[in-house]
Amino acid sequence: MPQLKTRTPLQKVLFIVLPIALVCCVLIIVYGGKGQPSEISSYTIADSTGDWGYPTPYTHYSRGPGYVRMSFIFETLVWKDDSHFVPALARDWQYVEAENAYIFELRDDVTWHDGTNFTAEDVVFTFEYTKEHPFQWVNASLVESVEAVDEYTVKLYLSQPYAPFFQDVAGTQPIIPKHIWRSVTEPEKFKGAQAVVGTGPYTLADYSQEHGAYLYKAYSHYYLDKPAMDELEFVKISEAMIPSALKQGSANAGDVPPEIVPELEEAGLTIITAPHAWNAKLMMNHQKEPLSSKQGRQALAYAINRTALVEITQRGHALAGSPGMIPPTSEWYYPDTPQYEYDPARAKQLLEGLNYSLESGYFTKDGEELKLELIAAAEFEEVGQFVKDQLEAVGIKIDFKTLEAKTVDARVEGWDFDLSIYGHGALYEPSVLPRFIVGEGFNSARYHSNETLNQLLEAQLREMDGEQRRELIWQIQEIYAEDLPALTLYYPNWYWAHDGSVELFYTRDGIAIGIPLPLNRLAFVE
Amino acid sequence: MRNVVTYIIAFLLILALNFLLPRMLPGDPLMAIYGNEALIAMTPELEAHLVERFALDQPLWQQFGAYLAALVQGDAGYSYYYNSPVLSVVLGRLPWTLLLVGTALILSTLLGIVLGIESGWRRGTRRDKSLLAGLMAVSGFPDFFLGILLLIGFGMTLGIFPLSGAITPYSGLSGAPLVLDVLHHLFLPATALTLGYLGASYLLTRNTMITVLKNPYMLVARAKGLHDRKIRYRHAGRNALLPVITRTGIQLGRMVTGAIFVEIVFAYPGLGYLTYEALLARDYPILQGVLLIAAVSVLIANFLVDLSYPRLDPRIRYAH
Repeated sequence: MPQLKTRTPLQKVLFIVLPIALVCCVLIIVYGGKGQPSEISSYTIADSTGDWGYPTPYTHYSRGPGYVRMSFIFETLVWKDDSHFVPALARDWQYVEAENAYIFELRDDVTWHDGTNFTAEDVVFTFEYTKEHPFQWVNASLVESVEAVDEYTVKLYLSQPYAPFFQDVAGTQPIIPKHIWRSVTEPEKFKGAQAVVGTGPYTLADYSQEHGAYLYKAYSHYYLDKPAMDELEFVKISEAMIPSALKQGSANAGDVPPEIVPELEEAGLTIITAPHAWNAKLMMNHQKEPLSSKQGRQALAYAINRTALVEITQRGHALAGSPGMIPPTSEWYYPDTPQYEYDPARAKQLLEGLNYSLESGYFTKDGEELKLELIAAAEFEEVGQFVKDQLEAVGIKIDFKTLEAKTVDARVEGWDFDLSIYGHGALYEPSVLPRFIVGEGFNSARYHSNETLNQLLEAQLREMDGEQRRELIWQIQEIYAEDLPALTLYYPNWYWAHDGSVELFYTRDGIAIGIPLPLNRLAFVE
Repeated sequence: MRNVVTYIIAFLLILALNFLLPRMLPGDPLMAIYGNEALIAMTPELEAHLVERFALDQPLWQQFGAYLAALVQGDAGYSYYYNSPVLSVVLGRLPWTLLLVGTALILSTLLGIVLGIESGWRRGTRRDKSLLAGLMAVSGFPDFFLGILLLIGFGMTLGIFPLSGAITPYSGLSGAPLVLDVLHHLFLPATALTLGYLGASYLLTRNTMITVLKNPYMLVARAKGLHDRKIRYRHAGRNALLPVITRTGIQLGRMVTGAIFVEIVFAYPGLGYLTYEALLARDYPILQGVLLIAAVSVLIANFLVDLSYPRLDPRIRYAH
């Protein structure tokens, strides 16, 4: 027979809830005493995406954070600190103009993580290997051939003069060990202990794709000083939780949204700001009237108040766009770039010059209203709305639509648009300018009609003299801003917060080809 | 037998949809199938290989044949973002979703049934009313919102639960402490989901219970002099179970994607979070893979519910 006394519903609930509460208490007690003192120094970097691929040159994901994780293990010939190119595997170098070749003198005290000596053979092997298996970020055809002059000297012959050779090749191409990789035929599938033998200050102890976590251990025979931290961890913490994790001390560094910066500064964290590397631009279909004429495009530039745009749509956490594309905070910036200060009257004047006339608030020509379609992905909703309001205020009717990003790309690529908003990064080294001005991708202005500009874009890549190259880059900005194939609207501010236990810094022109992250391995070495 | 045919037809329809959707996107189908990464990773040789592999130069029905053939060999596509086969990425995340949603589903169903039976039994009393009002209020919030509240309260302010993830990376734990660590991380997201699911199973049980209580056999049971508790659970409760099981079955099928928002809030490495990441990276192969797994799990869940009906209610056996 069942027991006589029945339980009330409340008791029933308690019967279920109590054990759970009990387990929960046990957990809290067990974990309350966490944080046992450890003799190992450890540094934790929070990241909201977490997984950036297995950190070898061929398996990391094709994004900056993937390269950075790899760069703690694999090194390049040269590297950068916050202001210069500095020696890495090469301790010295010289350019032989007559032969269009670089001679690199390598360090003779470098060992691979498995103890093998690093020699010129490894460098020769790496560049030959990339002919067959290109490294995702380096154009292998820039290097014609490589030879080992002696055990610790290599000579790289370029296929043609290439000004940003250090930035794009010598400072980006990771050197891989010949004794391991010579038998690897499918580098994209090569993972495991052998695959992560490099020369860098850290070795990979663990990688978890699903948890987005990496554990590195210091390499005790590193040729420079002993790494500052015994262990380095990259862990996944959701974007909104990174500030709390930093305050609680469960992470030492991470990127943070602008709104929370004052609060974190108050909590004693150090805030560092990235040099502007990304821009949002107004793409203009320069194959259609009235944007096919320079004056039409300039009219739009005068009509949009970029300072107000930053204040309103970015809440002030950005820098107003420069019509020359290169940000004013860059060392390549041309100080006299035409600015098109906000001037609606001038915008109207320019449109009238193109035979448009104002009728009941809107411009018309031959009885037809001037109406432009603006398409953008949902992330640019506010910016698009702002642009629409500003252009309508001067008399250009705007039909603004947000579309799925892929549809926007496809329509821009097929020139099936009037105006669009698009963003891209990589603004550090001017070698990317051709890609975004005359390149053939949908993210390029695809503007070929100015011969001088075309020549300058090519010439700046070949000009090996730094000062003369700067001169060319300045001219490019002047012409670009005058012709306005696209208009840069703003450069967002990016912030990182850290606890100061390691002096993080932003690398000049970004890490390697221009990654705007403050995770330069040199910060962890001295 | 007729049942099996229905399942096969449903499965084929799902496969056909999964096959057609990326091909209907604007632009190059290869780009649509492989997403943005294809732009970076694609060499002419690879492109030729893929065109051949997907029979992209062939008529649509032949493409579908190639797609099915690949699938049979366990090839659900390749993600260029993750640089690995779709199936291995998706299956790596599946256990975490099963753990999170499974826990929440079991807890919410059990709690919902017990509370529903008790509440329905005492319909109209103060206890019933307060339980009803309380649970309606809680389940009125979306699960992710409950998640955010819990996270702010217990994670950020009190600091007694972790802020995100499913384990503490590199804590060097193993054995029992590791299990505790997993539970510690599981607690907040599972609570949010349980509370989110609870209202529906509670209400359903309570309502059915009230209908069941009106049946003549309840009077018989009482007349037999059976104990209250026995009547409540074995006679009324069991008969009130069917709709709840059906609903749980539906939930089970949606489990793969059901926790998507809670997983995002807690950065829990399950399939929902994977879906979100794949959307951000526009990784279509992964999205298709998740869709496939989701569809298959709906079918399996339905099948299991079909199987469990006759066990729960023998009357169904005679209905056929």
